Amino acid sequence: MKARIVVGEGSCGLAAGAGAVYDALQAALTADVPATLGITGCIGMCYLEPIVDVYDAAGALHRCVRVKPEDAAAITAAVKADDFSGLGELLISAEDETFLSRQTRIALRHCGLIDPEDVDDYTAGDGYKALEKALKTMTPEQVIEEIKTSGLAGRGGAGFPTWFKWNAARASEGEEKYLICNADEGDPGAFMDRAVIESDPHSLIEGMMIAAYAIGAKEAIVYVRAEYPLAIVRLTKAIGDARAKGFLGKNILGSGFSCDMRIKAGAGAFVCGEETALIESLEGSRGMPRLKPPFPAEAGYWHKPSNINNVETFANVAWIILNGGAAFAAMGTERSRGTKVFAVTGKVKRGGLVEIPMGKTLRDVIFGIAGGIRDGREFKAVQLGGPSGGCIPASLLDTVIDYASLQATGAIMGSGGMVVMDDSTCMVGVAKFFLEFTTKESCGKCVHCRIGTKRLGEILQRIVDGEGKEGDVELLEELCETVKAGALCGLGQSAPNPVLTTIRYFRDEYDAHIRDHKCPAKQCRPLLTYSIDETACKGCSLCSQKCPAKAISGERKKPFKIDPAACIRCGACAAACRFDAVRVD
Amino acid sequence: MSEIKLTINGIACTGTQGETILTVAERYGIVIPTLCHNDAVAHYGACGLCVVECEGTPKLLRSCSTLAADGMVIHTEGERCVQARRVALELLMSDHDGDCQGPCRLACPAGTDCQAYVKQVALGNTKEAVRIVKQRLPLPASIGHVCPHPCEKDCRRGLVEEPISIALIKRYMSMAELQDPDRWVPERAAATGKRVGIIGGGPAGLTAAYYLALKGHDVTLTEQMPQMGGMLRYGIPQYRLPKDVVDAEVAEIADAGVQMENGVKLGRDVSFADYRAKFDAVILAIGAWKSSPLGCPGEELGGVYGGIDFLRSVALHEPLPIGKNVAVVGGGNTAMDACRTAVRLGAENVYVIYRRTRAEMPAAADEIEEAIEEGVTFKFLTNPAEILGAEGKVRQVKLQVMELGEPDASGRRSPVPVEGKFEYLDVDSVIAAIGQKVDPAGFDVELNRRGIIAADESTFRTNLEGVFAVGDATNRGADIAIAAIGEANKAADVVDSYLRGAIVPYRKPFVSKRSLTKEYFADRERIARVHIVNRPAEERRRDFAPVNAGFTAAEAMREAARCLECGCHDYNDCALVRHANRYEIHPERFAGEKRQHTSETELVTIERDQGKCILCALCVRVCDEVAHQGLLGLIGRGFTTVVKPEFRDSDAVKVCASCRKCAEACPTGALKILK
Repeated sequence: MKARIVVGEGSCGLAAGAGAVYDALQAALTADVPATLGITGCIGMCYLEPIVDVYDAAGALHRCVRVKPEDAAAITAAVKADDFSGLGELLISAEDETFLSRQTRIALRHCGLIDPEDVDDYTAGDGYKALEKALKTMTPEQVIEEIKTSGLAGRGGAGFPTWFKWNAARASEGEEKYLICNADEGDPGAFMDRAVIESDPHSLIEGMMIAAYAIGAKEAIVYVRAEYPLAIVRLTKAIGDARAKGFLGKNILGSGFSCDMRIKAGAGAFVCGEETALIESLEGSRGMPRLKPPFPAEAGYWHKPSNINNVETFANVAWIILNGGAAFAAMGTERSRGTKVFAVTGKVKRGGLVEIPMGKTLRDVIFGIAGGIRDGREFKAVQLGGPSGGCIPASLLDTVIDYASLQATGAIMGSGGMVVMDDSTCMVGVAKFFLEFTTKESCGKCVHCRIGTKRLGEILQRIVDGEGKEGDVELLEELCETVKAGALCGLGQSAPNPVLTTIRYFRDEYDAHIRDHKCPAKQCRPLLTYSIDETACKGCSLCSQKCPAKAISGERKKPFKIDPAACIRCGACAAACRFDAVRVD
Repeated sequence: MSEIKLTINGIACTGTQGETILTVAERYGIVIPTLCHNDAVAHYGACGLCVVECEGTPKLLRSCSTLAADGMVIHTEGERCVQARRVALELLMSDHDGDCQGPCRLACPAGTDCQAYVKQVALGNTKEAVRIVKQRLPLPASIGHVCPHPCEKDCRRGLVEEPISIALIKRYMSMAELQDPDRWVPERAAATGKRVGIIGGGPAGLTAAYYLALKGHDVTLTEQMPQMGGMLRYGIPQYRLPKDVVDAEVAEIADAGVQMENGVKLGRDVSFADYRAKFDAVILAIGAWKSSPLGCPGEELGGVYGGIDFLRSVALHEPLPIGKNVAVVGGGNTAMDACRTAVRLGAENVYVIYRRTRAEMPAAADEIEEAIEEGVTFKFLTNPAEILGAEGKVRQVKLQVMELGEPDASGRRSPVPVEGKFEYLDVDSVIAAIGQKVDPAGFDVELNRRGIIAADESTFRTNLEGVFAVGDATNRGADIAIAAIGEANKAADVVDSYLRGAIVPYRKPFVSKRSLTKEYFADRERIARVHIVNRPAEERRRDFAPVNAGFTAAEAMREAARCLECGCHDYNDCALVRHANRYEIHPERFAGEKRQHTSETELVTIERDQGKCILCALCVRVCDEVAHQGLLGLIGRGFTTVVKPEFRDSDAVKVCASCRKCAEACPTGALKILK
């Protein structure tokens, strides 16, 4: 058997230079090297990209990380010699291997392992076996029952039982029903769904076809954001290939069940991740939420019964059908079954995609799999659930990951974005960042969201500018509660969460900004005071040379001074000082 | 369709399957506020005002879209609902760039709708103009003659070049109507059988009497002087306000059903207790008729008079003897009236003694100017130190010379004596016009620290049951006539509610305001104010005829046409401001960036103002769902969303058939139907 060289070409790999690595490997792959060259998707170790997996003639994996084009020759030489010991630093370390070995992969089971552009690679394993099993051996009701047994809940964030939605759509009257996949992944720092589509599009298609069969849908639509061009390219090809192979379209696998599938590229509005806004957008209207009820299961796309699930939810379905709902339910906790994928980003040592069974703790993920905080700093908070979620402090790191426990902290499971922050982060600034995001992404329909988030952002802005007033925190809380209660859809109802959780866990930081005009994390520029420590200053004058505001003066060899009135708080002096003499308070 | 039973605010309601909570509530007369809902179009859920609480449901429900269900127990005015609505309205108003009322109307203490009557004058419709002004002011001709017009000070046209000449317009239109036998006559409500006694026939008493009579009450207005009019008749000289104008307006008030008794003095002709016993409610509108004393030696000498005592004597045709040389002390309008009257009575040297400078004088600028023209000598920065006399009569006044010191609490620089520096004026009389005091003798009513009747600021109640008080005699003391009238028309509403069994205090309404500067109007066309010419000073100082003839019809129309029409055309129908007042909002807590006024006319017959748009999208939806045109759309996202021609295609909307359904559906003044 020939060796296989596989380059990780997810968006993350490509961004890190996987394209050039591929080209270099292709050039180095002379006829005398007994190997094939291929691609795969994202394995989830974003911090190690570009990754090149080499399967030797015996099938053993030698994973090369942070590969540069100039490493191509060494890799092909190793393949040729069938001796990988010389690759040294290129090979993944034992510690980094734990990133994957500590995970349990269901939704991501094929990611980074198969070629996403090759349907045969998918079917070479157990691909489309679940669809065949469902269509040929199960009734739609049995499929729904199996999903019910699995305990699978919506992975888009709300955690609503999947079987219940399927059942409602199935029970709704009408011949014309639609199945919709929500791939409008928009939370800052979340990229699970993109990874699945780019790396394993057929598992999405297979899961969707099983769902379509269960509810009786004749058409399936994937609403994917246009900012995911690679996902769209790969999914388009996968749909074509699946149709050609009879996995979708008319009379699927000879079962008599027909359902076709298409892609709708979303124009980039965050609110279209809200299911009713998504439906409006699908219909060609402005993406604004509809009032519920009626729920989509009764009147969705074109007011026909429709079922909407997100990518990760569908990616679990084939596995559940093949392995049984009970096997899925065996993982996780009593109330939250199975696994959940998290996109871990921020100040961790190892950032990427992490799939774990429910029931692990935040500490397991952040300090175990992701290796803790980098650059020797302290953990401060983790933002869960994106702009709809909340910030969880260090004292709650042992919180168990399940829907109810996370919600009790004020955050939410959300779609799985996990942004880890260290002690250099200003929590008021974090709240402001997320508020600005939701303000921009509000569709403008309801008053509470359109104006309420704007006003929350303005109040936060004056606090970080040092112009906060006594009573501002209470005003924020009052407005947050009213926006939560009054907003029309999930976007507005959850937009205040980052503010409320930062107030709940980091109230002292708000008070420091408002009362003492200080930013404890030293991030809010208008609140900083730069001064020179006379005992440390050697009078080298470097700071005064670098100061763009000419705010520093002094005589050489004597301590320099900063004029606070002229200082623009740019930090150039602190960066320039070689004696650590610039103090920031 | 099956029947469902639910409870709303404790009322057992019946509905049909498929009906919303809002629909059922409406049928039972339960008003749930909403801005974005309209039965003609599908529910939308944007404004969030229609939220209600349903027992057993943790979330607030939007009643416009939530279907009524059997067994629901709904509360529409619970604390959570009220709070949600209040904040929604505060947020909307914090993002509202519009004037509910023009600055003129807001500046008028009586809230007269200056913009509306000025507009009617511009259109040549004085009858309608008078009807409008009389909603707030039953004496428009009198006030048109004498008012120092705070409205003009705030008039936005003043930011362009000069304010609208509102007072002269009012004088013109009211005089024109007084001469028209076919003039507007108010309707009187059905008789209530309640009796109201009002003591004092001045502007406040006349006003309260007029409005209470129109509300159907049996009103008696009691006046101690020989005729009605109060200060308008006895305090303001004939050359400023001819008595026949007062007569005519008093007659109109009598025609409205007010019984008037002149020459009846409480405490002399009837005891207060007996008077009270005759009525269900009594209003004290006794004014401030005592001149403040100078407080300097010599005040008791013959020839030292109070300003209003002097003016009253002239009005009664029994002028007090003032001689050839007269000193008038004070810098207010009464001082001006006194000095100009003295001139007209033939005094040769009339001095005004004022302790500050001209810039600090509270009198109206034209009054000062006209007094100077008529030969009055102003002695600024002087103050009487002593009045010197012989044989019990004034001979001379000793003046302390003053200079201006530091500004006081009111911002005016206080006068301070220049040590040892005095002047002397030879005079035959001294008229003290430095203030007026209330004489509450005979009314056992509680007074404040300053000896003025204490009345509640919002109910006008005194400490005596059923006794109310308004005007100069209360709280802050003497003020201009229109202020007394403003209080009286508010008090009329309060007393009316009292007589109907449940007193409703006056509450200052919330209004949205724009703050604009000169720069905003930089490119506005300049149109000169219409100025009128006074009779020559030499001529007018010899008689008591009016100083000028006022506007001609053409002048009034030309001047009225300059109005910028700042106030909202939709104020009376605006659902937003109606709800804002119902829920007592304070949008200033959420002050921030806001939308901006625009004037967009792509729809040709409809003018769209983004500043007043609340994005309820009723225009968009009505154009689509009712008119089937779909010409309007929402453009942009979030806070910057605006209604524009769909896809910003200004050409496409040219097919608009001017059905105006959009403007009719608009709950605010954002859409205005043009001619």
